[in-house]
Formats: sequence, structure tokens, C-alpha cells
Amino acid sequence: MTGRERMLTALRRGEPDRVPVWEMAFNEESIIKLGAFFTEDLPPVKSAQKMSMEEKVKLLNTLFTVARELELDGLTSITLLGTEAVDEEHVRDGWGRILRISEEGEATAVGGPVSEPSDLKAIKPYHPQQTDFLMLLASKGNLGEDYAQVLVQPGPFRESWSLLGSMEKLLYYYVKNPGFVKDLARLVTDYILEVVDMAADLGADVIALDGDLAFSQSTLMSPAQYEEFVFPFHREITEQAHRRGMLIIKHSDGNMWPILDGIVEAGFDGFHPVQPQCMDIGEVKARYGDRLCILGNIDCTYLLPFGSPEEVEETVKETIRVAAPGGGYVISSSNSIHPGCKPENYLALVRAARKYGTYPISVD
Amino acid sequence: MSELLEYLKQAVMQGEEEQSAELVGKALEAGISPRAILEEAMMPAMEEIGEKFSRNEAFIPELIVAAAAMEKGMEVLKPALGGEEVVRGLVVLGTVHGDIHSIGKNLVRMCLEGSGFRVVDIGEDVPTERFVEAYREHRPDILGLSALLSSTMQRMPEVIEAVRAEDPSAVIMVGGAPVTQDFADRIGASGYAPNAFEAAVKARELLRMGG
Repeated sequence: MTGRERMLTALRRGEPDRVPVWEMAFNEESIIKLGAFFTEDLPPVKSAQKMSMEEKVKLLNTLFTVARELELDGLTSITLLGTEAVDEEHVRDGWGRILRISEEGEATAVGGPVSEPSDLKAIKPYHPQQTDFLMLLASKGNLGEDYAQVLVQPGPFRESWSLLGSMEKLLYYYVKNPGFVKDLARLVTDYILEVVDMAADLGADVIALDGDLAFSQSTLMSPAQYEEFVFPFHREITEQAHRRGMLIIKHSDGNMWPILDGIVEAGFDGFHPVQPQCMDIGEVKARYGDRLCILGNIDCTYLLPFGSPEEVEETVKETIRVAAPGGGYVISSSNSIHPGCKPENYLALVRAARKYGTYPISVD
Repeated sequence: MSELLEYLKQAVMQGEEEQSAELVGKALEAGISPRAILEEAMMPAMEEIGEKFSRNEAFIPELIVAAAAMEKGMEVLKPALGGEEVVRGLVVLGTVHGDIHSIGKNLVRMCLEGSGFRVVDIGEDVPTERFVEAYREHRPDILGLSALLSSTMQRMPEVIEAVRAEDPSAVIMVGGAPVTQDFADRIGASGYAPNAFEAAVKARELLRMGG
């Protein structure tokens, strides 16, 4: 099987020849550290927003080298909206959002073009352009048809709060102005549907809908609020992805138990990353394995940053034992390979996945 | 009189900002002491919503609107309190260097304020030296450190060490998604809480213990 076949089989809850290995994201520093095992032609360590075009191309090539050398089964691309620098630490994107750059993770919106309901009328929606998908195009061109092409796109909740520049503001309006929350969700969902469409045109296989809906204790909103403010928009997006022949997964950190039924009903094919601190993957498999592909769960909070390769191998083995039988499991970290993760631990993850992940699974 | 306080408590719990301000005004007019308004209506309202939040019976939106109603009421109440609003103590709060996330810290601030603490929020991505400066400047009863990422969480021991060099008896609380009690113990933090409401409970407990 090719990586692409392996990923798509697992996402359809089938049993491939072996457990697919994939990541939702690698940070710049992680790509470079992993790349150092295979090449000397590396860009300097800094956030992509601060890199020159030449350095960005080098970063992408390093990522592709890592994917090929480790025989990953799919690769995730992000949309790269054109941004202009505001100052050393901030950029502005096509929506007019001010994003704060971080060395430790992705840029986060700290200011938006909408600060109150009356601003909504004046906002000029951004429409995706092919140049936003350069990473996907490069990935497809470089890695060819054998890798599953995953495009990550923030979902309606995250896109809505980033237009406000603050998650608290959006959650405040959940109670204070439900109509405004829905108008915002409509606006960003129309944009997301355009992104999904264009991703399909450009050859993406899978959409990963990003944006946390939960934290360690529970969901950010109540199940009733999810039902009212997020679910209908999720459903539109999954329907669009399926219409265009793609599969779609929901990513959210945290304890998603309260709304996991809604995620299934909204039409998602998979759920990532089953954060081990607050969700038991065996229980998710038992209760949802017949309806959802499960992705993730290898702890990137403590294990990958501070554990030993032997401990990583042990965890991978146990996770495969619990989650892989019968198919419908894609192994990955419990969020991303961030700069805190030891590169040798990621290599141990991949090696152990190959060692124990061949079907039929025979791990004691 | 107690009916008015009960209405006020309900208004705060339901996040009714204008009603909260109005009822504080009425309570003051009725001659109820500012301290009683704060301690018998507003703080219990935040406590009740916080407890519901801890039991997953209320969610972050309800917590946020209640805090907003509390804030509106406090605007009316503060002048009448005449500087007596710091009933519990002073907390300096910030997200550690490299971490640009704010929501966890902001929720902790809301719960602390709702619980009667005064909070100086020094923001996100705060360098270690800035924590030390803020500590020196404000001499808070508690210093609170927040992190969302397991990579930035590694800054916490550095901040604790630097602040304790300034004041060996500094009371320092830590929290955030990747932080656990075990990690807090290992790095010598004075306290840890798994969520924003519990952080306010823990802060009160630490002060009762005398730091």
C-alpha cells in the first residue's frame, strides 16, 4: 500500500497493511532538528514569518526530506495567507487580523477587524487565493501521489474568535448576543467552504479542521452551545468536503467527551488527537471506534519532551495494542511535534509504529 | 434588605451587567454596607458560578458573563468601599516567556477578582526579569505563573528561582494545560490548581496558611 492508501483506508475505519504514521504539525525548529539527521542543507532556526523566501523554501524541502526518509504516510499543509509585518512581533493577514508571532508555536490572533456586532457590516470578507495553498502545491509536487495530502484549516469557532482577536469575547457573546455569534460563524464558514473547495481542486485528500473546542477539564462551551453555535456549521463543512471527494477530521485538544456525539453526527470521519491527560483512547475506541477513525494520543506534553526512546516505544506499543486492532487508527503525537519534543523521541515513535503496527496486530 | 442582595447575587450569576450595577446602587441607597454587598452577594455569586463550573454544570461563557457583571457592579461599589476592596490579598499574574496564550490566565484573573483578590495582570510572554521586577514593585501576596505549552512550562522553575532569590518566602502558584500537581511539586511551586475556579480556592487556602 502507498502512504496515501494507508491513510485513507484507516480514515474510512478500515484495516491497512500497517498503522499509518502522520503528524498534524511540525514546528519550524522541529523540522530543522529532524532534518539534521538527513541533510546539512538547513535553514536557520526561526519562525517562518521571519524567514526570507529562500529560507522558507529550504524549510519546506527539509520537511519533505523528513517525510520521505521516515516514510510518513501523509503530510499536512497549512494555508499561507499573505501577511504584512506590523512590527517585530506582529503581522496582519488578509482579513485584517493582527497575529502575534511565536517561536514556540503557531501565530495567534490578538486583534481583529471586528470588535463589536456593529463592525460586522463593514467587514470585507477575505477570499482564498491559489497562492495561499503554495505549501499544498509544493507538497504534492515534491512527494507525489504516494502521500496523503492533508490540509489544515481552522474551523468556524477559531476563525470567529480570531476575527474578534479574543476567544473570551466570542464566548461572552455566546450568552450576550447569540445572533451575532451566528452571523460571525456564517461569515467565516462561507470562507471555510471556499477553502475546502479550493483544497479539493488542488488535490488535497483530507481536511483537518483545527481549533480547540475543549481544555483539560471539559469543553469550552456547553454541549447545548456547541449544538447551537458550531454544529450546523461543522455539518456544512463536512458535507462540502465529502461532496468534493475528501475526508475530514476534527482536531481539538482537551476533554472532548461532552460533544463527541456531536462530532460524529456532524459528519467527521476522524477525531484527533485524543489527549491522553484527559481522554482514555481505549474508551474512545470502544465507544466510537465503529463511527470515527482515531488519530493521535502519543503524549507530547511529557513523554516526547522528557521521556526516553525506550519509554516512547513502550507507549507506542501499548497504544497500538489498544487502538489499532480492526483498523481505524492513525498514530501521531497528542498535538504536534513542537520544539520541546526530543527529535530522537520522534524517531523512536516512528520506529516503534513500524515494529508493532503491522496488521494483523499481534502485540501482547 | 436581604432580598436586594439576593437579586444582586442572581444578577451577577446570570451575567446581567446593567442590573448588577443598578442593584449595587440600590443596595447602597438602602444603606447596606459596601462590605456586605461585596461579601454577601457578589463574591458568593462568583463562588457559586465557579463551583458549577468545576462540576461542569456551567461553562466558560457563563463564567465570563458573570465576571463581566461583577466588574460592572464593582465600578459602582468601589468608590463606596473607599479602598477596602482588597479583602483577600494581591496577586501578580502573567504567562511565562515564549507563551503568547492569554485565556487561561484571564479566566484565573476573573475568578481571583470575583473571589476578592486584587490582580495585577502583567500580560503574556513575560520575560523572567519582568516577573522579578513586578514582584519587587508590587510585593504581592501571591505570584501566579501560567503556561499553555509544555515547552514554555519549562520557564516556570527559572522564574521561581529568580523570584525566590529576591524573596525566599515568595508564594508562587502555577497553572495551565500541561501543568500537573507533580510538576508543581517538582519545581517547588507553593500551589497548583487544575482550573481557574480552583485557583481562586487554592489562593485563599495559601493565604490562610500564611503563605
